[in-house]
Formats: sequence, structure tokens, C-alpha cells
Amino acid sequence: MSDVIATNQTILVVGGGISGVTAAIEAAECGKQVILVEKNPSLGGRVSQLYKYFPKLCFPSCGMEINLRRAKANRNLNILTMTEVSAVSGESGNYSVTLKTAPRYVNENCTACGECEKAVEAEFDSEYDYGMKKRKGAYLPFNMAYPQRYVLDPGMIGTEDADKARAACKYDAIDLDMQETETTLTVGAIVWATGWQPYDADKIQPYGHDRYDNVVSSVEFERMLDPRGPTGGKIVRPSDGKEAKDVAFIQCAGSRDRNHLKHCSRICCMATLKQTTYLREKFEDDFKASVYYIDIRAIDRIDDFYQNVQNDENVTFIKSKVASITEDKETGNPILHGVDTEGYHRYSNPHDLVVLAVGMEPSVAKDAFPIDVTVNDNGFIEADEANGGIFAAGCSSDALDVNRAVQSATASALRAIQVINRVAGTEG
Amino acid sequence: MTDANQQMVEQYRNNFLREVEDNVEEGEWVKMCMQCGVCSGSCPLGPHWDHPPQELFMMIRAGKREEVLESSSMWMCTSCYNCIVRCPRELPITHIMHGLAHYAKRLGIAPKNQQTHKFAQLFWNNLTKTGRVNELKLGLALYFMNGIGEGIKTSLKMQDVGLGMLKTKRLSPMELIGGHKCKDSKGLKDILKKAEELEAARIPVAGK
Amino acid sequence: MSDEIKVGAYICKGCGLGERLDCGELATIAEREGKANLVREHEFLCNAEGVAMIQNDIDNEGVNKVIIAACSRRSKNEAFNFENVAISRANLREGVIWSRPDTDEARETTQEMAADYVRMGCSEVKYMTLPPGNEEAASNNNLLVVGGGMVGMTAAIEAAAAGYPVTIVEKSGQLGGSAAFEYKRIPESMPYADPENTGVAELASQIESSDKITVHLNSTITKTSGAPGRFSADISTESGSTTTGNFGAIIMASGASNYDASQLPELGYGKTPDVVDQAGLEKLALEANGGPIKRPSDGKEVQSVVFVQCAGQRSTEEGHLPYCSGHCCLTSIKQAMYFKDQNPQIDTNVVYSDMRTPGAGGEDFYRSGQNKGVTFTKGKVSEVTVGANGPEVRFNDLILNQEVNQQADLVVLATGQVPNSGVDIDLPVAADDEDIDLDNIVPEVKVESILNLTYRQGPDLPHLKYGFNDSHFICFPYETRRTGIYSAGPVRRPMDMAQAKEDATGAALKAIQALENAKLGRAAHPRSGDLSFPLFRKEGCTQCKRCTVECPFGAIDEDEERYPQFNEARCRRCGTCMGACPVRVISFDNYSVDTVGQQLKNIDIPDEFEEKPRILVLACENDAYPALDMAAQNGNHYSPFARVIPVRCLGSVNTIWVTDALNSGYDGIVLMGCQKGDNYQCHFVKGSEIAHIRMSKIDDTLQSLSLEKERVATYEVAITDIERAPQLIDAMADVVEQVGMSPFKF
Repeated sequence: MSDVIATNQTILVVGGGISGVTAAIEAAECGKQVILVEKNPSLGGRVSQLYKYFPKLCFPSCGMEINLRRAKANRNLNILTMTEVSAVSGESGNYSVTLKTAPRYVNENCTACGECEKAVEAEFDSEYDYGMKKRKGAYLPFNMAYPQRYVLDPGMIGTEDADKARAACKYDAIDLDMQETETTLTVGAIVWATGWQPYDADKIQPYGHDRYDNVVSSVEFERMLDPRGPTGGKIVRPSDGKEAKDVAFIQCAGSRDRNHLKHCSRICCMATLKQTTYLREKFEDDFKASVYYIDIRAIDRIDDFYQNVQNDENVTFIKSKVASITEDKETGNPILHGVDTEGYHRYSNPHDLVVLAVGMEPSVAKDAFPIDVTVNDNGFIEADEANGGIFAAGCSSDALDVNRAVQSATASALRAIQVINRVAGTEG
Repeated sequence: MTDANQQMVEQYRNNFLREVEDNVEEGEWVKMCMQCGVCSGSCPLGPHWDHPPQELFMMIRAGKREEVLESSSMWMCTSCYNCIVRCPRELPITHIMHGLAHYAKRLGIAPKNQQTHKFAQLFWNNLTKTGRVNELKLGLALYFMNGIGEGIKTSLKMQDVGLGMLKTKRLSPMELIGGHKCKDSKGLKDILKKAEELEAARIPVAGK
Repeated sequence: MSDEIKVGAYICKGCGLGERLDCGELATIAEREGKANLVREHEFLCNAEGVAMIQNDIDNEGVNKVIIAACSRRSKNEAFNFENVAISRANLREGVIWSRPDTDEARETTQEMAADYVRMGCSEVKYMTLPPGNEEAASNNNLLVVGGGMVGMTAAIEAAAAGYPVTIVEKSGQLGGSAAFEYKRIPESMPYADPENTGVAELASQIESSDKITVHLNSTITKTSGAPGRFSADISTESGSTTTGNFGAIIMASGASNYDASQLPELGYGKTPDVVDQAGLEKLALEANGGPIKRPSDGKEVQSVVFVQCAGQRSTEEGHLPYCSGHCCLTSIKQAMYFKDQNPQIDTNVVYSDMRTPGAGGEDFYRSGQNKGVTFTKGKVSEVTVGANGPEVRFNDLILNQEVNQQADLVVLATGQVPNSGVDIDLPVAADDEDIDLDNIVPEVKVESILNLTYRQGPDLPHLKYGFNDSHFICFPYETRRTGIYSAGPVRRPMDMAQAKEDATGAALKAIQALENAKLGRAAHPRSGDLSFPLFRKEGCTQCKRCTVECPFGAIDEDEERYPQFNEARCRRCGTCMGACPVRVISFDNYSVDTVGQQLKNIDIPDEFEEKPRILVLACENDAYPALDMAAQNGNHYSPFARVIPVRCLGSVNTIWVTDALNSGYDGIVLMGCQKGDNYQCHFVKGSEIAHIRMSKIDDTLQSLSLEKERVATYEVAITDIERAPQLIDAMADVVEQVGMSPFKF
């Protein structure tokens, strides 16, 4: 870390998801000095946990591969993982930021050969899989992790497993004595790209996410599709592992709701439509999907994706916010109760599996910003001159889909560059 | 058509939504409904409503005055508050339902034979006499609400309960004659009269 | 520095390479067969010591070409990052030992694989030259913005704020675009409750007072030529006077026009002036200027208004728009508020099928509308007729399940946006074909070009879907098929004003980035930073035009003598032109017919009796090659007889490679490229598609060589095809086993 040089003509990008990576690369490719910090061991953020994107049903790693190639090739870009921002002070053109880097316990000698993982026995909940499966104490976050370097879970340090890991490494890459480090840097502008987290579905009491096995959130469902994920790529019921062929999707679970998140999270309608195509992919014609909605927000040009799903005979749309879910104890089937507002049909529908299309909550809580920024009632950073040289990019600015998040990140790169160019102009 | 009803019809001339906003308790919330249906789905007596709350809101917005006010639907509300808790738009649904029922009654167009309506009136009559509910008389009034035959049947059915209550001094047969009063029941009557006057100035009431 | 080529070959023994392979033999091969001048082995090449060793050879031993036989070229780039030398990576780790089992039986073929990759690496680097960059790289900081609406104004102001001079060309007599004709706009900041001042006047005044922004009103672009860094545009007024400007990059912000609502007679438009579209309502609101809005027919103050959403949109009916325009729900709420803010007693009803008010601001605005008393009815409008008192909207109320005929003083149709994207260059031009029904070709009206590019492929940016010129990438919304020209705003895809302004800012960044990189001769996305560009040997050219026509980016023009004219700064370095050229006169310094062709020719091909076939795999470096790397990382093995060569794009594959491979005795050839078609993944848009077309035509070649068609297979491979990609190679191995070894071995 000592070789990171930063001046007030440097741009700091906080957050290494698709928005942060984009903002960093775009600014660096304009010739600016950029430091990108990410608190997790790898870049990628939440898009790396998705199976496919809508509407093209393409793979997130495809775009990430190009971004990583561009990042690796750019000498203006400095990437720091395991790093968070602990303090910020100053003003536009002259910020002092303190970065805290947590120890990875693995150094640059790591060749990602995987021997440490094989040697270790301790297991921990996999954050990448939303706790749906376990991972070893020495692990590579995922296939396309960048840096391609293993990590040791801090919970394993001081145990026998840590020593086993070190012994297994032929490259002297395991450093059990690594400590947390702190650096203070000067930067000129800051792009805040801390992204979102899925709204905690347990809080939606009537839906029983915390009580019923076969009620899962949309991000958990998405993990099932990864062949390397918790179910090996199969769509199954958590209760008994049987294939889930009759799936209910509940829209606005926790969004547009003054009890939970007041805002609309924008992506959940398209995400559900996309997930109905997963059912068709896995089960061909042998499936049923029911979408319980208030309004289907498949906006602008991608409305045709909605039209295609509407034409799929196996997908039904019911204009109803589900009132409550109970469980059939014998079968484990969740039963959805509510009223279909188009026709007043009162229903108690059993399904194999229920997917709650949970909303996006901004990742950094309103009061947890290290410096004062204007935040609206929904927790998103507002564009405000008072924010000085701090600009929100991606989902920290609003609930956005990937295309718009990248658009936002590209725009914020320019705003950061405006600050830098002003500084450079005054400094001659 | 009662006179009060006539007056409102003329005043609001087809704008039922505005009429509700002006005259029904919490009526200004009706416009905030986004027709999600969670209230209808959450109501434990839902199947017994002709029109569940969310449909009522839509009907109000669509100007279906008679269907709404003459409906027995809102009288089915037991104030369980399930709907209010779950409504994503924060509508005070329970209060609106009671408000609609009350308004319909004031205008004299509430369904006459609706049980809750009838019982509510009995309760009111009972309570306002002395300021205290005369439980024995109220109970009897409830049993005989729908006629002597049914009254006797119900009384007989409930006689064990009644005897039990007598034995444990939860019920006093003296209530048949007198019953508890509050102090200054004349003062109470004056308060109620004044309140009625004030309210009538705002919202007309049938028959007055 | 001597011009003498000195090749350094470095064999790594780490990651198990030393145990699984005979590195000594590999070193010998590098020296004797690969003709490397300097060969070294190292235990752990990527660590500081190994890297220093290589750097020392470069600095002090005169090594100017390096071949690193170690892990994949996608790995350890930070370590093997040597400046000013050509570098080739022989993929011995992911490509050999990780993709083969560690057993005694496999050892021999594994070694042969490694040996071949070392030979290939040496051949490749021999033909690679470090690209010196374009000596004619042009430098120009000026930006051209076509269109002076919100998008154009925002782009100009943002670019100017970063220090870049901007010229705006606007065809009407004023700045502001469609926003200038709006009374107010949808709010862009909290509490998102009320319509806001459009901001047009403020932006226009900012532009006027800026010394960095020049505005041409009443002007259009009549000619655009050149390339990033050296665009030249003729800006002409209606009267015909022309100024020529020179620019580094261009932003196309020509916006969208309102859908012609006269195509909706069933909704009453044209039958009565009291049925207007959203633009029509803005006009009435502007006229009212805060006072009561009056209806056009008789000037009566409007007491009731019905908004019909999705009018002529989201529909596959003829004449309708198949998409949603993204802003109309919010706009209708805003317009309903015009009435409510002036007089809360006015009835406003929005008849919709889905209320689309996304995000934080959207939902807040919806609630605010409801709070002001705007009512919303989910319904399907069947028609709007003219009644005695005004228009009547007949719709099916889907919640109450009843037919309603609502009479109103005014009806507003929420119609859509149609992009001003100019000429659709992919439309068939020939009108001779009797099968074409000339009356039903869309568009019906001759469309004027917006940019008037002198490019051979056509005067405007290509349209991909519904007339919008977005390139339809999800991760790269700005990626354009005309390098250096960035489209922004509703001409790119349907959007509301807030998004349009954000889009403008992003496009301004990309335009600045383009012109900065043009100065340095550097390529844009996805091969960012690449200094190579097509080198053209004119003497051999047969003027067949294939390169010019097939270039996905229209980077090649035609000169007066009808030879292709390459424009380095417009090139994305995909190599599709190289793949197209039947006489192979196009190449890049670091990627040519030889860098691949010599690789495949210089492996060891055993004779047919050894029963060790050779399968050539040409894998696109964007999706297929990473998939093979990750397959190996996950322990998925494939045939030891495969020899994988990464290519920049499948479009760069010249059929000579296939022919040469077959002639040299390869038994099978597998081509792996990215997905093509409507949901294409190809990072160069058309490359994969073009390759598939070319390969579908090589059956003749195969026949003339008396070879079976099955020996050459072309696939679309995704980056996640970790199981499938190895299976495709094994499938070819099976085919070879069935049809037998190639008769061309010797």
C-alpha cells in the first residue's frame, strides 16, 4: 500500500462493483490518476452474483472480462481490495481520505493454484451465496475474482487450519501475520459507488421468509442457477431438494411500501420476468410461473421482453399484492393468500416455491457516510452542489438497472474529471 | 331518498370522491390507494364483504355512490387493523370503513337489516341513556334484535352462561330495573346534544 | 538501440509446471526449433525475482521480444508487464496442465501439447512487431454536439466544465429542443413532489455566457468526414451558407420527435381539437401560464381531463410503436398536476395499464400526484368519441370489471417518442425487386440524414432496434458503431429528461475520452489502449471491397481510385477486415495472418499412424478463450490433441488459416466465437456473425480437398460455457475418430 501515490489530481472511486469499476476505468482511460477501493476481496460486486442480465439474457462475466482487461492494461488505475474508507474531510479539489485495509493473509505470490483450499477443513457461510452454502476458510471468492488471489477468513486465523494452509502453499503466499493497515491520502474528487443490498426479506413478516423454507428472495433464487452455486444449477425447493416447477413471484416485496422501502426498486419487475425464462430454460414446457404484481415496470425499449413473457402460456400475471403466506405442513408448500383485484377472485394458492422480488436498499446507511452528503428520504445520495467534489455513481444514487448504473458511473467520472481539471488548471 | 341524502347528492353532483373527502372520516386518504389489494387479502372477514376495501376505494373514485353507501360491506369491519398494518400507502383503512358506515347511516341509506348496523344503534341507545352500558339490557336487546322467536331461542341457548355470570356476580338482575349511571347524566345529555348540533352543521343527518 | 531482433524465451516451472512437464525439453525446443536467442527456466517466474530477471535481459541483454511459457495471457498481467517489447504468452498452465489429467498415461501427450505451445509462442512473437502508433494521430479538443435540446445543452456545458470547447449545431432557431415547448418538467430532486421549471432558460444563458461554447442555430450538418481527432463537419444554414469546423469527437443529440397521433383516429385525435397529445397539452399549459387551461374547441376552462396512457405504444399493431417510451406515466402525472395546482376542483383521471414510476423519485412523484387528488384507473381504452359536451373515453375498468364511458372536457393521449436517428443504413436500397411492397416499407417518408457522414457504409449511425441507434450492450451503454461519435438522449433509447441529462454527461465523457485517445493513437473500447491499426499493402489489393463492407464500424472508406481507405482512429482493431481479405493484404503490427498462420504451421504434426490427431481451436479472446481458461481452472479437461489459438474476434479469422490448417494435416478445426443475432454478445457487434457466414461457405474448399464437412465446426460460445466449451473440443475429437485422420499429413 505504501506505493500508492495520490494527489489532489487523483480521483478516488469507492466501491468495486460494476459502477465503481466503470467510473474508475472511464476516468483512467481519459488519462486521470484513479484509485479504486473495494471492501471485499474481489471486484465485481453484486452483478457477479447474478446468473444472467435482462433483457439479453447474457452473462455478467462477459462484460466484467472486458472491464478487467481494460483495468489491468491501465497504468493510471490503482486497485485496492479489502479496503474501506474510514474517514473523509476537506473540500472539492482537496480531500483527505483515510483508507483501512483489512488483512487478506495472502500476498502477491499467490498463483491461485488452490492447494490451500484443499488442505483446510474449516467451513464458513459463503457471503457470495447469501449464506445458502458453505465455503472453506481459504477460498477464492469466485471464478473470475480479481485480483486472482485467495483469501483467508479471519475466523480461521490462530487455528490449526491456518497453519495447514500455510504449509500447503509452495509459493510462500500465506502470511498469517498480516495486519490491518491504514493510510491517509489526498485526492481531488470522490466517486461514491457503494451500491445496494437486497432488502432483508425477514422483515416482511406476513411472507414468512424467516419461517418457511420454500420462501426465498430473488437474489437467493438467482444463486440457484449458478452451476457452481448452492444447488449446482438446479431450481429446487430448499425444504426437500425436489425440483420447483410451480413458482410464484411476489413483486414489490418490501418496495413501494411505507412499512419497508418507500421507493420503487425499478429492477425487480424485469428481474422476475428474466427469472421466468430460467424456469423455461431448466424445465422447458414443464413449469408454471405466477407473477403477483401491482404494476409491471418493464420500461422503455425493453417492454418487448415483457410482451414475450406475456405470450408464454406457462406464465400467469395476477394483479394482486399477496396478503400473507402460510405453509402446508405436510408438503412444505407455501400457500399464498390474497385477492385478485381484477375480478375479485379470492385465492389461497399453493406453490412449490415462492420468490420474493425484494427491493434495493442503498448499501451505506444514511448516517454512516464518513462525510456529510445530501441524502434523500429513501437513503440515496442526491446530486447537490453542497456535496462538493463527491459524486454518487450507480445504485448509491437511485435504484438502477445495470445499463443505467453504468450510464450514471460514466457521468460521474466526468464530474470527477471536471474537479480534477479545475485543480490542474489552477495549479498550472 | 332521505332529505339528507338528497342534499348531498345535489351538493356534490356526481363527484362522489369529493363528497367522501369532505364528509367521511379520513376520507381524504381514499385517493392514495394504489389498488394493490393487500387489504382485501388480509381481512379475516374478507369473504363476507360484498366489496372488499380496495374495491370500495375504486368504486368511490368511479363515482358509484349508491353501491358504496348502501353496501353492507364496511359494516363487516371488526377493527382488527390487519389492513392498516399492511397497507403500503399508509391508508387508515379501518377508520375509513367506519367513516363510510357512519356517513351512510347519517344519510339514512345504510342497509336497515344489517346486523352490525342494528347492534351499533342498540349499543348507542343503551349507552347514552345513562352514560354506562347496561349489559343485561344490551344483551337482551341483542338477542331480541331480530324478533321474539329468535330472542327466546338465543336466550335459552345462553342461559347457562347467564346463570354462571349471575353466580360469579358478573351480572346483576337489578340492571333490569335500574342499572349504573354516571354522575350528571343530564350534563352528558347536554354534551351529546351539542355534539350532534355541531356535527349536523357540518354533515346533514337524515330525518333532521 | 540495435534493430536486431533478440527473442528471450522464459519457461516457468511454478504452479506444477516443473513437476508435470519436462521443462528442460521445452527449453531446448524454444532454442532449437523456436529459434529463441536467449532461453531461461525459472522456478517461479511471476515473482519479483523472476520478473526482475526478464527486465534485466530487456535492459541489458538486448532482448526486445519476449515469450513467456507459463500461465494464461489473462493471468499475472501486472507481473508480466514489460514496456516496449512484444510479448507472447504460451499458455502452459490453464492451456495444458490444468486441462489434462495428472496421470502417467497422459504424460506423453501433455508434454507434446506443451511443446507445441512453446513452438507456437516462438512463432507468434517472431512475427509480432511492437506497434509504433499512428504518426498521423490528430489532436483536437473541440467537440461537436449535434442538437441543441436538453441533451445537447447538457453535454456542451458538462464538456466545457471539463475544459473542452464545444460547438452546438441546432436546426431550429432556438436552444431547448422539445423542452423549450414544455411548461414544466418532472422534478429531479427531493422531495419529488411538484413540477419544476424546465431549466431551459438557465442552461441557454449558461451557454451564452460561456466562452467555450459556440452555437449555430438554424443549421444542420451537411457533411461529416474524418475520424476521431480529425472530424470535419460542414455546418450549413437554410440559406446555404456553410462553415466548416474541425472536431475531435462528436455527440449526436438529435433527440426524438412526437409520434404522429393522427395515426390514432380511434382515439379521437384529429376528430376533435379537444383530444391532444402530451405536446399539445404543454402548449395549452404554456398559453394558460398558470391560469386556467382552456380547451381548444371553444375556449372553455377545462374542468375535467382524462389521460390515456400507452396511446399507440407497447403494441404490435401496425402503425403503433412496439416499445414503451419510458417517461409518459410520469409526464401524465406532471400534466395532471398542472390542472390540480391551478384548481384542485378539476377532475383529472389517468387511465393506465401499468403505472411506471420507477426509482425513488418516481414513486414519490406518484404519491404526490395522488395526494393532489389525481385519480388513477387501471383500464383498457377502446375508443374516444366526440359527444355533445366534448370527448368521451370508452374504456373497460379492469378493477371494477365494467365498461365506462367517461366524458371529459379534454383528453390527453400519452403518445410515444420516435427517435430522430436519420437514415437507416441497413434498409434495402434496391427498389427493383418486385417482392418489396414499396408502400409498406418503414419509414414511409424519406428520412433526412442527420450527420451526413461521407462514410461508405452510410450517412448515419446504424439503427439496431426500433429506429434507436443504441448499440444494445448492457455493460457498455455508450458503445457506438461509429468510433468517436456518441449518441445520447432519446435518440439512443426512450428516456425521460432526467435520464437524458445523465446520458448527455456520460456521452460527453466518452467523447472527451475518444478525442484524448485519438491524440495518442490509442484504440477505444474494447481493445482500449491498443496502438496497432490496419496496415494495408495496396499493391496486392484487388478492390473487392469486402473489408470496406464488412467492417462493423464503417471505419474504411473508399478513395478516388476505389481502393479502401483505412482510418486508424475509427478502427477498433477487431481485425474483421483482415479476416475478410481474400488476398491477405491487411494486417496489424502485433496481429496478422502470420502471427496466427505461422503458429498453426509450426507445430509438430505426427503422421497418421501415430493416431494422434491435431485439432485447431480458434477461440475468440473475449468469451471463448476465458471460458476455456476457467474450464481448466475448474478441472474440466479436454482432448490433448487440441491446439488453441486466441483471436481478437472470430471476424478476424481469415479462411486461409482454415485452408492452411487443413493442408498442413490438421484433422479438425473448431471455431469459437461470441453470440450473434438480436441478443448478440460479440464485442465488435458483427464479427461473429460475419465469421459464421464465411464458414458456412467453405464447404466448397473442403470438397475440393476431398475432406468431410464435419471437420470444420463453428460455434457460439458464452464466457460461462465452462462445461460446454471443452465438450465442443471433445466432440470434434470424436468426429475425427469417426471420419479418420486427415490424408494431408506427411
